[in-house]
Parts: sequence; structure tokens; C-alpha cells
Amino acid sequence: MRRSAAALALSIACAFVAPRAAAQTAAAPGDWTMPSKDFAATRYSELSQITPANAKNLHPVWTFSTGTLGGHEGQPLVVHNTMYVVTPYPNVLYAFDLTKEGYPLKWKYRPNVDPNSIGIACCDVVNRGAVYAGGKIVYNLLDGHTVAVDAASGKELWMTKIADLAAGETTPMAPLIVKDRVLVGASGGEFGILGWVKGLDLATGKVVWTATNIGPDSLVLAKAGTFKAFYDKGAQLGQTTWPADTWKHGGAPVWGWMSYDPELDLVYYGVGNPGPYNADQRMGDNKWTASVLARHPGDGSLVWAYQFTPHDSWDFDAAAEMILVDLKIGGKMRKTLVHFDKNGFEYTMDRATGEVLLAEPYVKVNWASKIDLATGRPVLTDSKQTGASRGNVKDICPTLEGGKSPASPVAYSPRTGLFYASTNSMCMDYEAVQTAHLKGTPFMGINSPYHAGTDPNMGAFIAWDATTGKRAWTIKEPFPVWSGSLATRGDVVFYGTLDGWFKAANAKSGEVLWKFKVGSGVVGDPITYTGADGKQYVAIYAGIGGDWLLLSGDYKSDDPADVRDPADFARNLARHTSQGGIVWIFAL
Amino acid sequence: MIRLGIVILVLAAGACREETEVPAATNATGAENAIVIAPHDDRIFAGGIAPPAEKVVNSAARDAKAADVGATLFTGMNCDGCHGGGAVGAVGPSLTDGRWRYGGADADIYRSIAEGRPKGMPAFGGVLQPAMIWRLVAYIKSLPAPKDVPTESWQ
Repeated sequence: MRRSAAALALSIACAFVAPRAAAQTAAAPGDWTMPSKDFAATRYSELSQITPANAKNLHPVWTFSTGTLGGHEGQPLVVHNTMYVVTPYPNVLYAFDLTKEGYPLKWKYRPNVDPNSIGIACCDVVNRGAVYAGGKIVYNLLDGHTVAVDAASGKELWMTKIADLAAGETTPMAPLIVKDRVLVGASGGEFGILGWVKGLDLATGKVVWTATNIGPDSLVLAKAGTFKAFYDKGAQLGQTTWPADTWKHGGAPVWGWMSYDPELDLVYYGVGNPGPYNADQRMGDNKWTASVLARHPGDGSLVWAYQFTPHDSWDFDAAAEMILVDLKIGGKMRKTLVHFDKNGFEYTMDRATGEVLLAEPYVKVNWASKIDLATGRPVLTDSKQTGASRGNVKDICPTLEGGKSPASPVAYSPRTGLFYASTNSMCMDYEAVQTAHLKGTPFMGINSPYHAGTDPNMGAFIAWDATTGKRAWTIKEPFPVWSGSLATRGDVVFYGTLDGWFKAANAKSGEVLWKFKVGSGVVGDPITYTGADGKQYVAIYAGIGGDWLLLSGDYKSDDPADVRDPADFARNLARHTSQGGIVWIFAL
Repeated sequence: MIRLGIVILVLAAGACREETEVPAATNATGAENAIVIAPHDDRIFAGGIAPPAEKVVNSAARDAKAADVGATLFTGMNCDGCHGGGAVGAVGPSLTDGRWRYGGADADIYRSIAEGRPKGMPAFGGVLQPAMIWRLVAYIKSLPAPKDVPTESWQ
């Protein structure tokens, strides 16, 4: 009797121990566990030690060379006093021990990534970061694999081939983990892919579902009774809005950021451009390219979709983040989705239905005069439409780099109610030509040089009110601004510049409080976290690249056989930066 | 130093089927009108001894319009998607700067196109016949290389 009572007591004790062990995998409030900080993709931190009064005392406390030259987009993670850094190709994962002096490595993980991905990736060999859940670090390798690595030991837990490099698919995007589902997508809008998202099982890596972004309802997972677009009627929209079978090579990549609303159980993501760039070869709306899609993460079923740029003729990917916050619109609190599209408009939408509540240009826009809220469609400027039949169309604003790039995600502060965005003020010429699809090669048909817009400043960091569609303040920058943003409860916002400055600004006024030259242009996204000593730290990658690798002056600075002049419109940028990745950590 | 491939023009014994004109073909009777000897002059030779030069047949050497056809192919096969219009470089390397990652001799360029290269250059040997690849080589070699100025100054 006594023995069995003791055994019972032990089993009860074990039953209590198990949940405690599970709880240890939960993140602390001062951690940064997913790419955009939270499911709502706000990039807002509750940390408040750094304030407008003391930000001038920020200084570097640690740096680390990643040893790679690709564009350092994305951001580190910090979980349980460990910082995780994924490099551009070859996608090394570093784990730094933040409890020890000098933050030595706990381990590093070196996957065998196919070098062919270097040439299949459209726009440099970037990686947009990892995500943490349940003791695992999960991220995508450029060559079409998703890996899960044990966060404590660095041991590979699973590796799943998700994409086909030979078909032009690469995978630089950062996954999102919702419950037991790992959500991933592929790039390749320049290679005639048939774009998709997949839901993987977090425990095993097995692909549970695949949903294409274009094509028939059976592939798009648009089921009668579940799918309802606010503006579009009818079925098979992903197929009937394309000529014949052109959707099969119609692009629709997924390379930006995903967000999730737990109450609605909806995952939101933006879909990239249709292919080819010559719009004459794909007459019709080309749904659901340049769109936002809302899906149930469990089975991938499509709930609603909205197309920002029907028949996109300018490479206006809608891959940018969808920020999920509740805002007062027209005197009523609404569950909104806020999106800064490449096409130059900021959209404030009802995230339950896909209704557009407000759409206003946040940079100079001339391809459309406005968005008609009754139809959800842009009112087009005829002279700025493109296609091989229209020849070289001059002075389209913004450029195919976007009024804001999806690569530079926005932050939102609930304290100010403002969105903080890195923007570009440039225009382009767009000369489309006929092109043929050949598997494994680009499917583009475009010559599109950029130039500065009427504003001599080619970029700006702005604060934006998404309830009115108006700017609150502007910090002008000489070059396009390409970093992500960070907002904090201390009312300090952070961003970086292509000429290599990392800056802190007053969230309310836009006053620049502090800046530091970080050694290379910034295309990464700042994060903040609480260190082992209880202090607030801010981390950022330096390492120019992505679409801007040409501007650094060296196309590949480790290759003497490929030396080119910098682009004409930003020739001076090469005075201020070279390639090469550095992780920086700052503190008061 | 400007590296020049050694090009030896010979008279063709007669036309032949293109399928037999794979690179490194040593069958002289297969030559249409030209033999390109790969010189290996940008390599380091073990023992200081160059390997025997390989002979490859340029089956488009007699085509005066080879470069024009190559220019059309350059666009038609989506080469410009990576290397840029006019091959000035985009995501893929510039082919007009006179600097070569995998060698600039005709035979090197032929191999780059036909066999691909490991950083994402697709192998076109499966979709292009050798005579077409040689026309692409002719186009690329026809592009004017700028003067190599290694210094960039803002002063």
C-alpha cells in the first residue's frame, strides 16, 4: 500500500514536471521569437528603458562578422538569452550565448545549400529570418528546403524539400508558425513559377497542405461555402482571369511576411507579381497575384482574397506585411489590416471580410489616380499602363522597387497610433517585350531603368496615420530607405539607411535622436530585447544587398571578374558602403 | 593583359550533322570550317606543364550573321533576364566587362552556355544545338568590352 502510494505520488509529481518543462519553451516578454515580433506583425516592443531623453547614450556593445556578402535582410531572434542569426546563402544558423561575456557561440549549423540557388534567386541571396516555436528554430534555405533545428543543441530535427529550384523556385522568406503548422512560400515571380504556400507539420516537417495562389479553385483551396471575396463574384477566379493556361507560369510568389489573427483563425499574406512582366501576354486580372489572401492555417482553405493591383503591369508585388490592429475608422472601432503596397497606396481594410475602408497614396503615385472604394479597384491612368504593345512607357511612379519595399517591413506603435515606414521616392521607365517561358530561366520581358522622382531625396522614413491616410512626420533621406522599422513603448523608433546609418527617432515628433555608422548599408530589420542583465538591447544587421546590391559599387565584392559601375541614379552611394554582413548590438 | 583564345581557321571538308559536333570533338572530318583550341591560358599548371589543348569545332564560324543570330537568341532564350539587355550584367555577371569568371576563350564561353555553371547558370546544351550556342558565343564576343579602369574615384 505504502509503496503504491509512493509510486502514485511520484507519477503525480511527474505529471506536474512535464507541463513545467513545456512552459520553459514559452518565450519571455523581452524575447523576440518570430520575424515580426508578434502574430499581428507590429514590430512593437513593450520595452521602454530607451527613451527620447536617453537615446543619445546608445552605443555598440557587440559586433559579429557573418562572413557573408549577400544582403542581410531579416532580423535575429532572441529566445531564452540566446540570439539566433541566419546568414544569407549559405544560410548558416548561429546561436550566441547572451549570458557570457563576448556572447560566444553555443553552436552553429551549416546546411548543405545548393549553389545553383545563387543564380535562380531573382534578387540577391537574401534570407528573411527564422521563427521559434516549441524548442525549435525553423527557417528556409535558399535552395527550397525548410529546416527545423533544436534550439538548445543545434541538431537538425528535420529537413523538408518544399520548392523546386529547377522550376525557378527559391525560398528566402521567413516562415510563420501557427500552432502546429509551419507556413512557407516560394519566390520566383521572375521565373514563371506557379506560386503557392504550404502548411508543414511542426513536429515532423511533413507537408500537410499545399495551396496555389493562382489557378483553379481546387488548387487554390477556394471551397464553396468557405471562400467569399468582398468585391469579386464567381468561381474559378484564379483561372478565368488568365488567358488559357498562362496561370501555370503566372508567378504569384510569396516572399514577404505572414501574420495571424487567433480569433478569426486566419493567416494573412501578400502575393507577388504576375509573370511575365510583359502584361500583354496575360490579359485579364491575373488573380490572385498582387493580392492579399486570408486562409485557415490548419487546412489552408481560402476564406477571402483581395487584389490590390489587378492585371499588374508594373511588378507591384503585394508581398509586404499585413499588420493586424484594431483602429477607429469613421468613428467605429474596426478589426483592421494595414498594408503598404509596392504600388504606392496604403490600404486600411476590414480583416474579417476584405473590405477596403481607406486607400491613400503614401508616396507619389501616377499609375492610378485613386482606389475606388465601391469596387475596390484602382482608377487607372491610361498613359502609364504598360505592355509590349505600348513601347517604352516613361516616368511611372513609384518604381517596381515599390513606394515601400516588402523587404522593409513597417512597425506600429499603439501608443502613438502611427505606422513607421521606410519609403522610396523614385520613378521608372518600363519597356516590356514579348518573352517565352523556358523552365529554369527567367520569364520577364522587361527593361526598366529607375530614376529619382521630383523630390531630390530618394527616400524617407515616415510616420503614417492609417485611420486618415495622412503623414504625421517625415525624415528625409538622400537614398531609398530599405530597412525594416522597430517601434517601442519608450517612444523611440529605429531604422537604418543604405548609406550605413542606424538611427533612433522620437516616435511622436520624428526628431532624430541618435545615429551610428554600422559599416555597410542597412537592409535588415531592427529588433529589441531584454538581456540576461535585465537591460534593453537593440540589434540590427548591416550588409547592403537585396535589390540594392548593384548600388554598393561592387556587384560581388569577392569576385574580381564582375566589376561594374554603380547605378546612375545613386552613384554616390558607393562612397558610403561596401558589402559584408555584421550583426550589431546596442545598449545605453 | 588581354587574354586571347587561339583560333585556327581551317577549311571545312564538308558539312556535317550538328549532333556530332559536341565540344572536345577530335574528329577532324566532323569540322565544318573551324577548330577552336582551348588554350587553358588562365589556369595554374601543375608542374608548369599545360594539359594538351582540346580541339572543339565552331560550327558557326562561317556564318557572317552569327552575332546577329546570337543577339536574337540572347533575348529569346532569356539570357537577358539574368545578364541584362546587351549583356551588361544584372543578377548574372556582366559579359561585356572583359573579365571572366570561368574563362573568356571561345571554348570556355561555349562550355558555360552548354554545360552551365554551378552558381545558377543553366545548361542550355539540352535545348540549343551546338551551332546555335556558337552563335551566342559570337554575339558575346562581338560586344565591345570597355577599357578596364580598376580605380573608381570620387575626388
